[in-house]
Amino acid sequence: MHVEPFTDRNVSEQSAYYYVDIEEYPVTGWDKFKQVVKRSLKGELFIGLWIVMREMIKFDIHTVKYPMEKLPIGPRYRAVHKLLRLWESGFERCIGCGLCEKICISDCIRMDTRIDENSRKEVTEYSINLGRCIFCGYCAEVCPELAIVHGERYENASQQRAHFVIKDDMLTPLDLLVSGQQKDYPGFGSITPHEDERVAKTPLAY
Amino acid sequence: MINFTINNQPVTATKGETILQAARKAGFYIPTMCYLEKTTPCASCRLCVVEVNTTDSLVLSCQTQPTQGLEVTLDSERLQRERTNIMRMYDVNHPLECGVCDKSGACDLQNKTLEFNIDSQHFTAKEQPRKTERWGLINYDPSLCILCEKCVHVCNEIIGDDAITLQFGGYKSAVIPKNSDKLDCTFCGECIAVCPVGALVSSDFQYQANTWELSPVPATCAHCSAGCSLTYEVKHTSIATGNEERIYRVTNNFEYATLCGAGRFGFDYDVQASKDTVAFEKAVSALRNAKAIRFSSIITNEEALILQNLKEKLGLKLFNEEARAYQMFMQAYASISGKSASSGTLDAIAQSDAIIVLGGRIATDNPGVRYAMTTAARHNGAKIIYMHPLEDTLLQNVVTQFVKYEAGSEEGVMAMLAKTLLADADLSDEIREFFNELDEGYLCAESNAGDEEFARIEKSLRRMKRKTLIIGSDVLTHERAQNIARLAALVEAYADFSLVIVPVNVNTVGVSLVCDLDQDENSAEVVGYNANGDFVIGAMCESDLTVPAMNGQEGTVVSMNHQLLPTNVAIGFEGYCLNDLANALGLRRLNTIDYTAQLPKTKGFKAIAFDKVGNFYGALGEDNRGYRLETLDVPVNGALEEIAELPEFNGTVVYRCNPVNQFNIYTAHTTQLERDAALRGSAQFAAAARIGNGDRVEVQSNGNIEMRTFVLDESLKGTIALSPTFDEKFGAMNERYRFEKIKIMRVGS
Repeated sequence: MHVEPFTDRNVSEQSAYYYVDIEEYPVTGWDKFKQVVKRSLKGELFIGLWIVMREMIKFDIHTVKYPMEKLPIGPRYRAVHKLLRLWESGFERCIGCGLCEKICISDCIRMDTRIDENSRKEVTEYSINLGRCIFCGYCAEVCPELAIVHGERYENASQQRAHFVIKDDMLTPLDLLVSGQQKDYPGFGSITPHEDERVAKTPLAY
Repeated sequence: MINFTINNQPVTATKGETILQAARKAGFYIPTMCYLEKTTPCASCRLCVVEVNTTDSLVLSCQTQPTQGLEVTLDSERLQRERTNIMRMYDVNHPLECGVCDKSGACDLQNKTLEFNIDSQHFTAKEQPRKTERWGLINYDPSLCILCEKCVHVCNEIIGDDAITLQFGGYKSAVIPKNSDKLDCTFCGECIAVCPVGALVSSDFQYQANTWELSPVPATCAHCSAGCSLTYEVKHTSIATGNEERIYRVTNNFEYATLCGAGRFGFDYDVQASKDTVAFEKAVSALRNAKAIRFSSIITNEEALILQNLKEKLGLKLFNEEARAYQMFMQAYASISGKSASSGTLDAIAQSDAIIVLGGRIATDNPGVRYAMTTAARHNGAKIIYMHPLEDTLLQNVVTQFVKYEAGSEEGVMAMLAKTLLADADLSDEIREFFNELDEGYLCAESNAGDEEFARIEKSLRRMKRKTLIIGSDVLTHERAQNIARLAALVEAYADFSLVIVPVNVNTVGVSLVCDLDQDENSAEVVGYNANGDFVIGAMCESDLTVPAMNGQEGTVVSMNHQLLPTNVAIGFEGYCLNDLANALGLRRLNTIDYTAQLPKTKGFKAIAFDKVGNFYGALGEDNRGYRLETLDVPVNGALEEIAELPEFNGTVVYRCNPVNQFNIYTAHTTQLERDAALRGSAQFAAAARIGNGDRVEVQSNGNIEMRTFVLDESLKGTIALSPTFDEKFGAMNERYRFEKIKIMRVGS
């Protein structure tokens, strides 16, 4: 849709705006009666019905049949969070640095970490209280490992006010990762383009 | 006073102060990485360099004392370049794992790297293979280590374990256990506290939480009478694991204070309970019908005052034999000295150049005293004379003379010691007569502490200026404790000693001041408050009514320094506490801490409300914790008694003493501390008792029967075995003299 003409808000002959020709409102009782009779008998009602029927017969329907159909959302849309895995190894990307927990302005992220058998930091539990989350996206933006991102699931209807997403809900299942269904997003919180050119390499003597 | 200038501004330093100390006092900033106020300068980081007008080379401000008229420059381009290069060196190959490192957010290296704006690596070095070490409660990652040597200095100079050292090898250097493959120490964890990076970490805490998520709760350690300052660091767990508050770790102000392993690792003894109205009603009626309350000294002053008020209101008796022993000791002391409290403090010990310890296994009884003694030995070269029936391997690094005496002969030993120390003192004729009439031959023969030992003590103390006498807790429960107290008071008054008396529990002093205690008659209808009784109200899950433990309540305690110290709630408690019971019984106070200002002024307390009592160290180490109790003048009406016949402890004798980092039922309930409840004895003891290593034995003493495992300990000598008390319910053993004749029977192996 071309929107340019609408940026000029001055109403004139040239602009896309024009005054709608509105009839005078009836004032006296008699006038009002005349208007009711006119509208009732003119058959305007059936015009609308006819349009619906015409479109039905043409089978050219633009309605999205939600919830069977959903509109695609932009990559930068901030819906319910996801925890991603590394493409190569399938390990969790999250290292448990706790920056998301720190930056969260509604204080809704909580995590338990521990030292695992390989002396690495392991995130054992990770939860987001969606009753508090305002979907600001700071967690995804601060994440140094691109581990937490906003996914596409925007339906948040729940029977209780506080609804939690826990680690199992958010983490990409391994089979989906293997079948290539994990999505990386080019937008929010991801690496800026041409990042490689900005990185200075550490000198090595060997 | 030395007058000099820093950045052209006049600064004064006292004698012995370094440029760094004077600068900090005057408000100048000098960056450091390895400096620790309580140890001698490590001088390893060289970040504290300054320019002076007397030499062209840069001077280390941490170990250089200013001279009169010196002109010091703190910030020139040359210094900035020097320091920036040092920081660049520190950052070479330092692992970029701040994301997971425990220290991240509270890391000196991180802070200084940002301060000097080091954003890239200019130098290079071949990385060495470095293996993470697991030393029990402590983990060490050499690749994170910056070799500042703080840990080595603190272990050697303050703690006295001397357990770690630096393995020199240029870029391969690392901290290693000294003379052993595995770390063999008392696990005080002070090395963890002082580590400026994440190289030395608590193995329990590692990767559990980030510093910025933890909320600090300043408190006082509840395990021994030293009353060390500590900070509980609390955080909630995640929703999947219950969303509960939990103490994640304990930290301390390591720059000015020290903490032992029990304080640092023994923090999770908190209990939880709901408001159980049935148990509450039972407790109220039990108290109403009780004839007496028996209680322990591991309670706050406020609880003690509530108990005292209940006594007055309901006409109860109060039993606490352990605090009563201390109370009577102090009464006897005051009857000679004319003061309500002795002069000595832990600081006085640390500044002494001569220390005598009598009657107590001080290193495990009260680590605070041990650290002060180590500090004195290392910093002042203090002579330390340890008098006890049992030698202590923990003290062997600092003790200059060990005097062994027979168990039970403390009165004789004290009399001989007093005579030695007061040889040249200006005593009254009466007292001089008393000492002249001592039967030295008998006392030396029976106590087994010879003339030559006392002569050596006399010789080594002759030119000493700051002398301290430490009376351990063996003496407090001795049958002749009061006469020993009188003798100790004489030594303090006439031989220019400061006197430190070491009570057993965290608030023994407070309880002895707040409560009128009665002699325990072992009668019926006794309510136990954190103690045994017919109805037990206690901070243990198996009590009839559960009340909060010391880390779950706010209040104050009085440490052995006669200092009132506040403690705070680390983990909230949902159930009932003593104040609720008192309110149900007719005392009216909203909160327990409303009693803080009511503590008896006649005993030296001040009318200061709890919320006005500070609990922190100032930036320059000023002790802003609570307040020191006023020492009151009391009438001098005591007189020395004849030395009684020295008791004999023949046959099978045990000494009640706890292993390292264990003190009482609360430390016994913590998860990290080792619980070694074995009876430990030498080969000689084993032969006499006809038992062997690993045997199950039945120990019968005074009507009590305990089952223990016997462990043959090569480091012990003599015929006395060590029997722990921390696993006893509510530690009833503290009330009796610590040496005890027992019957021992082998029941299996």
